Amino acid sequence: MLRYVSRRILEMFLALLGTSMLVFVMIHMIPGDPALLLTGLEAGPEVVEQMRRELGLDQPLYKQYWRFLVGALHGDFGTSIRMGVPVLEEILERLPYTLAIAVGGTILATLFGVTTGVIAAVYHNRFWDGLVMVIALLAASTPSYWLGLMLMLLFSLWLGWLPSIGIRTPMHYVLPIVTLAGQSAGIISRMTRSAMLDVLGQDYVRAARARGERERVVVVRHALKNALIPVLSIVGLRFGNLLAGTVLVESVFAIPGVGRLLVDAVLWRDYPMIQGTMLFVAAVFVVVNTATDLLYGVVDPRIRVGNPIG
Amino acid sequence: MSKLNWLDRQGLAWLVVVLCSGFFAASCATEEAGNSLIFASSADATTLDPHNTTDSQSDQVIWMLYNALIRYDENMQFVPDLATSWSVADDDLTWTFNLREGVRFHDGVPFDAHAVKANFDRVLDPEQGHNRRSLFMPIERVDVVDDFTMNVVTRYPFGAFEPMMAHVSAVIVSPKMAAEKGKDFGYSADAVSGTGPFRAVRWRKDLELIIERNDDYWGDPAKLDEIIYRPIPEAASRIIALESGDVDVITHIPPSDLSRLEEDPFVTITKTLSIGAQQFRFHCKREPFTDPRVRQAVSYAIDRRSIIDNLMPGMVQASTGPLTPRMRGRADLGEFPYDPDKARALLTEAGYPDGFETTINTTARYNMGVELAQAVAAQLAEVGIQAEIEVLEWGSLRQYWGGLLPEDCPLEIFIMGAGASSADADWGLRPIFATQERNENNYGFYSNEEFDALIMEAMREVDTEKRNALYHRAQEIVYLEDPGAVWMYDNFHVVGSRSNVSDLTTSPLGLVTFERAFLTQ
Repeated sequence: MLRYVSRRILEMFLALLGTSMLVFVMIHMIPGDPALLLTGLEAGPEVVEQMRRELGLDQPLYKQYWRFLVGALHGDFGTSIRMGVPVLEEILERLPYTLAIAVGGTILATLFGVTTGVIAAVYHNRFWDGLVMVIALLAASTPSYWLGLMLMLLFSLWLGWLPSIGIRTPMHYVLPIVTLAGQSAGIISRMTRSAMLDVLGQDYVRAARARGERERVVVVRHALKNALIPVLSIVGLRFGNLLAGTVLVESVFAIPGVGRLLVDAVLWRDYPMIQGTMLFVAAVFVVVNTATDLLYGVVDPRIRVGNPIG
Repeated sequence: MSKLNWLDRQGLAWLVVVLCSGFFAASCATEEAGNSLIFASSADATTLDPHNTTDSQSDQVIWMLYNALIRYDENMQFVPDLATSWSVADDDLTWTFNLREGVRFHDGVPFDAHAVKANFDRVLDPEQGHNRRSLFMPIERVDVVDDFTMNVVTRYPFGAFEPMMAHVSAVIVSPKMAAEKGKDFGYSADAVSGTGPFRAVRWRKDLELIIERNDDYWGDPAKLDEIIYRPIPEAASRIIALESGDVDVITHIPPSDLSRLEEDPFVTITKTLSIGAQQFRFHCKREPFTDPRVRQAVSYAIDRRSIIDNLMPGMVQASTGPLTPRMRGRADLGEFPYDPDKARALLTEAGYPDGFETTINTTARYNMGVELAQAVAAQLAEVGIQAEIEVLEWGSLRQYWGGLLPEDCPLEIFIMGAGASSADADWGLRPIFATQERNENNYGFYSNEEFDALIMEAMREVDTEKRNALYHRAQEIVYLEDPGAVWMYDNFHVVGSRSNVSDLTTSPLGLVTFERAFLTQ
């Protein structure tokens, strides 16, 4: 087990190194010049030239990358070109907002998705199944951008129950989390339903029923526990999507999260900031996926590493 | 489980409780603050260092925190600010300023001639590389005469001296704070110090920038206790936030929402004709745009009235010259008429009886930039010019504007927002149309000898009447005879506010300021 975990951690590190290289190459391939963008339309050439020198953009690429890598290994991700603040500081200040929304969205989507999925499977081909699946389909195919605006119209403008934009009180988190959870909830719900249907047809479920166990026990203890594995991997992957999806939600609800930071950094060709945020998002994603992999073992002992049972 | 572990858990739980209640308390405090106004623009300020600012989001906050020596009033006339009076010597080079006494910066440092000199030395120092150095290049040196008198000496008689001194980048920062903070000056709330009616309190980037009234202000104190700048990037969210009363004032209103907001009884719409205009420029060194007749033909082929009525109703007015009516030294040359027959005749004369193929580059960064290009392309097709539209993201388009040789610049017709931040003809014409080998600011490689001569002469002319006459002739050339661009329309600066907000100042420079604003119940 220990060997497995340490191997996974080494893999994580390699994945991040690869990400940093890929991101570096990509940001230097997209057209655009931060010195021109930053100095504005009215700046003269001498100012632009000076800016290029200061940013180290006149240095060869491998030197720029080496400087970034050495800094990053020392915990220094450089200074944002546009905002003039240390990259790491800014990311750490914004990460809580993004994580709160992404984690909240994941929890809400999972709770909602699994519950409705189970209900649909239990009432297979009956009214509740149809209703749940229509709602799930709608949720899965509604763009979060549009959903966010509609929720805002309904709950902020017409009903006046919730604040429209910003992120100061717990109430401010409600609409962004619901918006973000929408798509994933639909997908998880459909996934849970089909996994449950699979399991409910298995012999051991029939055997459990034959033993006269109560239906609730059959569904929750025997069926759901086994149906959870495919659902768990979807949840893990959806978390990555949600992390990326916060970009739109942060824009719509004017939340100063990492997603918006990244988008602005790309628009302004703020190289150090792009590097830093990409690495952070990748790190969170890799950690969550590794954790999901390890969680399989908890749910299903057969997958537990070290047990050579197929 | 060890005892320590258990304590840790307890501690964590308490931390969460404390944080949550702190959260609530903080939110209540913000909501209850009495005379506070929330202003939502499309983006956050970039910097509060006036020597580095290049965007109106930053500019409008800077005007709240600092004062310049002189400034524009609402009618675009110069009035005293930190200077009480000013005059120019007979050599037209030396400008003498008498400064206000008893003024202090927010950090307690007294304002005097030494502070002013330190400011201009800072922005002009090539080592520090401030974005706005180019603007102040005409200044040779600044001399302190006594504590409250100073001379600014220009390299040549400079006709746009006063606009330069009333520019947002000419505001005076505390020399002590600027020296202490160095490169960090202006990038956080505790690295800002001016003499203005408000002082910076807190700045969480992209969340809120809070400034509060400076009770020791030397002039009429502001009425608002505090102003919260809260950027909302999505236009639709910004409008809902205004309608629901979550914010008090917004800018950047899409044309499609304007009429609805105008009918809302709780919302007031204010329109101010701005210094900004929308144009398309040509790559003047690339066939067929080397021929002025082709550029004229493009201009005649466009029906501006129909584009304005359909795309930007109530947001703009048709251009009547290269500079909008709010710019000093502008000439009113009338609307460019829509005359497709004349366009075809000009094309035939220029050797393109069947028109030609070209590309229009545009970006969504300008309000309706893509739709505008589509409308123009459709109208050009009527006279035989087949224009393909290429939409670029701002950063990708921007790379073609600056320091390229004509052969390296692939653009043909491209969108451009024009508006000189000094509100003066010199800065509005010289950098963008005077001949340059590389397209440092003259992005379309426009070149006309007579125009160049007039612009350089006008730049050195201090007498307003003579200066205006020179600019009038220069504008006839660049607008009519040898067009440097297709002028589409002059923008209104449109501001939406809750009806209980009074006395906003919306300047033609596209800025909203709050020095006199107050809230009624």
